[in-house]
Amino acid sequence: MKKIAKSILVFVLVASLLSGCGTSTKSENEASQTSKEGVVTIDFWAAPNPPQQTFWKQMAEEFSKVNPNIKVNVSPMPETPSSEAGIQAALAGGNAPTISENISRGFAAQLVDSKALVPLDSMDGWNDIIKSRNMEDTIQAWKFADGHQYVLPIYSNAMLFAWRIDILKQLGYDEPPKTYSQIIELGKKLREKYPDKYLWANPDLIDSTWWKRWFDFFMLYDAASNGNKFIEGNTLVADDKAGVATLKFLEDMAKNKLLLTQVATDPFETGVSVWTTIGPWTFGTWKDKYPELKLNETYVLTPPPVPDGMSTNNVKTFADTKGLVIYAQSSLEKQEAAMEFIKWVYSNPENDMKWFEITNLPPARDDVNTNEQFKAYLKDHPELQLYAESIPNAIPPFDNVKFNDIQTLIGQKAVNPVVAGQIDAQKAWDDMKQAVQGVLK
Amino acid sequence: MKRRQEKLGWLFASPYLLYSLIFFVIPLFGALFLSFTNWNLISPQYENVGFLNFVKAVKSQEVRAAFFVTYKFMAMFVPIVLIGSLAISLIINSLPRFKSLFSVGYFLPYLASGVATSIVVRGILSYNSALNVWLRNTWDLNINWLGSSTLAPLIISVMIAWKFMGYYSLILTSGLESIPTEVYEAAAIDGATGWVRFFKITLPLLYPAMFTVTILAVGLVFGIFTEPYVLTGGGPGLSTNTWQMEIYNQAFSKLNAGYGSAIAIIDSVVTFITILVVRKLLEVWGEKYGWD
Repeated sequence: MKKIAKSILVFVLVASLLSGCGTSTKSENEASQTSKEGVVTIDFWAAPNPPQQTFWKQMAEEFSKVNPNIKVNVSPMPETPSSEAGIQAALAGGNAPTISENISRGFAAQLVDSKALVPLDSMDGWNDIIKSRNMEDTIQAWKFADGHQYVLPIYSNAMLFAWRIDILKQLGYDEPPKTYSQIIELGKKLREKYPDKYLWANPDLIDSTWWKRWFDFFMLYDAASNGNKFIEGNTLVADDKAGVATLKFLEDMAKNKLLLTQVATDPFETGVSVWTTIGPWTFGTWKDKYPELKLNETYVLTPPPVPDGMSTNNVKTFADTKGLVIYAQSSLEKQEAAMEFIKWVYSNPENDMKWFEITNLPPARDDVNTNEQFKAYLKDHPELQLYAESIPNAIPPFDNVKFNDIQTLIGQKAVNPVVAGQIDAQKAWDDMKQAVQGVLK
Repeated sequence: MKRRQEKLGWLFASPYLLYSLIFFVIPLFGALFLSFTNWNLISPQYENVGFLNFVKAVKSQEVRAAFFVTYKFMAMFVPIVLIGSLAISLIINSLPRFKSLFSVGYFLPYLASGVATSIVVRGILSYNSALNVWLRNTWDLNINWLGSSTLAPLIISVMIAWKFMGYYSLILTSGLESIPTEVYEAAAIDGATGWVRFFKITLPLLYPAMFTVTILAVGLVFGIFTEPYVLTGGGPGLSTNTWQMEIYNQAFSKLNAGYGSAIAIIDSVVTFITILVVRKLLEVWGEKYGWD
């Protein structure tokens, strides 16, 4: 009996100790966050980079001044081992924030599949945001397969290519080539004159990590297919002709030894290669590290190249774009407060202007090129002009829940073996299609 | 008196037992439960899928690659780290003074961040690094270090060996210091010199320390993650795709927590069996030569 009593005592002690290790439950959290005065506190997870955190902290402060009943707590989202895993862990533990930004369409599709997101279009105020932010056209491409809108896109980077025009001029070019055959021809001339230089230095071409396909395959495919979808719902609807042409272009570059797949330090900046994919976030780094790189003097920006015979006007490209979501796990009161905050931020174009100035990422609006405020800013930052102009031509990533597997297969079955010279473009495309269809079943 | 001592023993062991319960036993059962489901930890709905995750893992190209890649790493890393740490410990042991200072010096890489060292190595091996420019200009050699399925695992093995040599050499140095000098003196009288002394005295008497270091090194191979994650992403092909890389990709990147857990369970079983086999082989080897 004494033994049993002792065991129970030990169990109770250990249990109390363990309970102390746990976090408070969701309801306790919520109770503590909605004070007696009726102030609703919402948690906002910002992308783990200083400019975006600065912007959202500023917004939260200004919002709280005019809406004292809602308090927005901005904190960086956990990024170890990845921001997606951080959100997954928070959802699993019942500690998800009310809102977070930095959500791609693919990840959003996974969250939607797990019923973790609130369909924003079903909330009061959604239409006001779309109208006041002038994004009726942009938002169309963000509709999910079930017809709902779960993500409010914040920025849209129409990914571009940069050319070292100073080196191209040494080869006799006044402007960069626009079609596949013109590029191959330029590459051959480059290698002949400068055997140590390459057309495109990109080790990602032999890496099957899923997101790397955004910045090689999808940029080229979106251009070659004139924006034809790759996946629609749960069906592979890719344009075969454009897909094979894209892979053939990579195959031709590899065969002519125009690609450097070895790791190189800043190859474009140091002139090891003359061509690279580029996003607007690069210019901040260049300003500090490579001030000698000047637009139209040392480099120029272009949309992706297209297959021979295709129009080189209004060329489509991949949109590196992310947005914010509201989590279904939070209470209705918090969801509504979150919507109020979003509505307040995007009712004033000044706030999008602040975003543009702080982050260099073009806001996902239809009027970036026509609104006077943005026009004035772009005049002072000509390197961002083409990004803003290309927004209507930018295709966001597909929203399938298996996006990670599918994009890994595009690497493993198509891009990687073609660049390594293991198989030809047609076989790679067929293998990739078969594998992707297997995943979609 | 004996009962009191037993209680005291349990009391002293209790922090570790509690730690193991929270961070090992409970997660292990959690992983076991997950491995039989298709849950992604988020969805309100999930199904029991029986052994489907295990069957899928066994058939998976990536998991099979992880299995073989780990043994490839073992074949490269274990000899390098054993020879390297033995060499360091012999050097330190032969030093007339400042032994501790040098021991600490060799131990420092163990404290270095895997991410930081990987970034440095990436820079050293890049196409336009001083090393590669020199190789191209002098010998007309253009080596794609991290793009070769043979060189990439070797480079990672050398990096990890560099990190752990100092640590393992501490164990071996204490082993060397415990060898009585009289044994060497007696051997010297018998005319034994150099390599004979090393193979007939040092190595056999260092066997217990070598045994420990070998088991630690074999176990470590199953935990390789940071270096391939930063340097190669598991490539080229799947030539550096380790168990931990695959578990990470499935559980945290593809959000397949159930499938990721099944891979983790398989990994644990493979690790356990491998360590058991290596341990048995070392014991048999030791017994054969009378070293144990």
